[in-house]
Amino acid sequence: MSTSALVGETYRRRLIVFYIPLFLFVFAMLFPFFWMLITSIKTDAELYNRRISPFLVRDPTLEHWRMLFQDTLFLQWTWNTLWVATVSTGISLFAGVLGGYALARLTFRGSTVFSVWIFITYLVPPALLFIPLTGVMSFFGLVDSRVSLMFAYPTFLVPFCIWLLIGYFQTIPKELEECARIDGATRVQAMVKIVLPLAVPGILSAGIFAFTLSWNEFLYALVFLSSPENKTVPVGVTGELILGDVFFWGPLMAGALFGSVPVAIVYSFFVEHYVSGMTGAVKG
Amino acid sequence: MKKTTRKPVESAAPKKGLTRRDFTKSTAAVAAGTSLGIFGGVAPAFAQKREVHHLAWNNFIAPADDLTRENAAAFEKESGIAVRFETINQNDLQARAAAAIEGGAGPDILQLHWNHAHLYAGGLMDHSAIFELDGGDAVYSYQQEAVIVDGVPRGVPYYGIGNIMAYRTDVYSDLGIEVPDTWDQYLTAGTKAKAEGWPFGQTLGHTLGDAPMFCYPLMWSFGGSEIDESGKVAINSAATHRAIDFMKGAWEAIYEPGGLSWDDGSNNRSFLSGEICTTANGASIYFVARQKNMAHIADNMSHYLFPKGDAGRFCMSVPLSFCIPNYSKNQEAAMEWIRYQLRADNYEQYIAVQNCYGLPRAPGLEDHPVWNSDPAVSIYAQVPQYGRNFGWPGPFGRAASEVQSKYIIVDMFARAVQGESAQEAAAWAEKELKNVYGA
Repeated sequence: MSTSALVGETYRRRLIVFYIPLFLFVFAMLFPFFWMLITSIKTDAELYNRRISPFLVRDPTLEHWRMLFQDTLFLQWTWNTLWVATVSTGISLFAGVLGGYALARLTFRGSTVFSVWIFITYLVPPALLFIPLTGVMSFFGLVDSRVSLMFAYPTFLVPFCIWLLIGYFQTIPKELEECARIDGATRVQAMVKIVLPLAVPGILSAGIFAFTLSWNEFLYALVFLSSPENKTVPVGVTGELILGDVFFWGPLMAGALFGSVPVAIVYSFFVEHYVSGMTGAVKG
Repeated sequence: MKKTTRKPVESAAPKKGLTRRDFTKSTAAVAAGTSLGIFGGVAPAFAQKREVHHLAWNNFIAPADDLTRENAAAFEKESGIAVRFETINQNDLQARAAAAIEGGAGPDILQLHWNHAHLYAGGLMDHSAIFELDGGDAVYSYQQEAVIVDGVPRGVPYYGIGNIMAYRTDVYSDLGIEVPDTWDQYLTAGTKAKAEGWPFGQTLGHTLGDAPMFCYPLMWSFGGSEIDESGKVAINSAATHRAIDFMKGAWEAIYEPGGLSWDDGSNNRSFLSGEICTTANGASIYFVARQKNMAHIADNMSHYLFPKGDAGRFCMSVPLSFCIPNYSKNQEAAMEWIRYQLRADNYEQYIAVQNCYGLPRAPGLEDHPVWNSDPAVSIYAQVPQYGRNFGWPGPFGRAASEVQSKYIIVDMFARAVQGESAQEAAAWAEKELKNVYGA
């Protein structure tokens, strides 16, 4: 077989097993964003005209963007969401790192059962917890305060972070830590100076997941917050832009598009760590 | 790593000047101090202003909510009671109400739809004082049934939202179709329209409004009902079979087939896109067409009542009520605010500003000029007289609500149009209803 034939076969093979699936995957991932963008810049007349191609924009307008930014408190909601997601992620990561390390490394009675219970806690749906949590928030005077979400979100984020980090810490060889202990490091020093640097990708992965879960959370934000200026993006956008059975699709899609930008930025900063976090701490 | 003498952290000596006890005291003091500020500490009682937190849905007619806010400002001047009027998406009202009542904290007035006052009756105060003061006996019976639980009013009726047929006048005119008065005429009209590329649209999905508000009146007008007056399950009757058979035939002949999966907004979108020419809905399609300057739709549409069957003509109207929870510490102030809104002049203004979208709670306002201001929607004034509630002719209680929440009647029709016979679908519904009613 000639060289050119071999090259051609390799190219076809790569096309079938790599490029076409990659293209389909990228298309599926990006299509919702494309749809949100074009819907947000179409006029209402175009939005409701099914006789023209829905994939093209004939007469672009920024009216829906204007409505989103000027007629609603979208920027305030974004700030609230960012603030709540950042704080609750920070709290959850702190607790998650300590809990995950303890359950992965320390041997104490009931540690295995405790791990399983944490996992079970994570499985309890927020739809079952929001009513008792309302009473708790009311007792502490936190209703209609963003602080309520900063305390509520860790109820599902901490178990999630602990569970994820237990697995991650277990991939780090104990010997590395034991060497440090032999050299005189305390357990805390060994953890801080040896284990945590190796666990950064895992911690970032847990952080990104926690941040995204907080960003998108709807039910607690709906129930605990009532003042428009305190609301988060998911609750504010759906609350203000769906009136009865009427959906304001243009501003809704603009809200969905701009609401996903901060999460995309967080991902873009940490994507390399995130990927390595998915594949384990130490590669042999 | 530098070799050091190992010291367990647990036994490390505290730093000079800050003992563990000092640290505990300091943090406790800081926590106590900041909690007053951060956690919304309560000001002394003498400095507190009377305030009522009123939770309601986002009224589709935005000027109605604007008017409520204006009234709230006027009310505050008059009474010294501030009103925090919060509006949210209608689908989220129940989650907020459930959390507030079960958690014992939240708004002082909850706007509840349908008969949700029955669901939360244990957490709602007795509204007898205000119910009678504001003409409670005069309001439409379907409104009263929504809030009276075991003889005690657990709320005060506010207004209703009707659901009838929206249709394209130009299409009907071009095709020579008369506005149907009976279900047979409706079927004939739809068959002709669909043959010309103008199907009717109807959802049989699990939607809050459009699916049940069509299916129940259809069943009633053929003489069917889920229970009889004594509360005994009566669904599996010849009348119900006729209603189901009608729907089975109509589904193929006149409707857009995608309706099985439609939500409450889908028929609005299809109508405004010019894909269908008739659908059961509130007046929102018309008002959206007006607001969005879609004159080709708004200038060519109108509404008609649901057609009548052997047993008569029926409609449904969503009752909306004010409900004050037991936990509210501002019950007196909340009642004053409700009284203010129901005061004849304020109430008339509120109904008028909704341009026939909101239906008055009691007879008497049908002659208001607003009902003649726009012929496209003036027919809505007649809806309350045909209004019935879920469970009719039996009680409109928790069980009727559960049946609606489980979409048993809607699913009965949906199962039939997907292949089951009328007898099979009704038998399935009977079994499900007996699980709910226990008889």
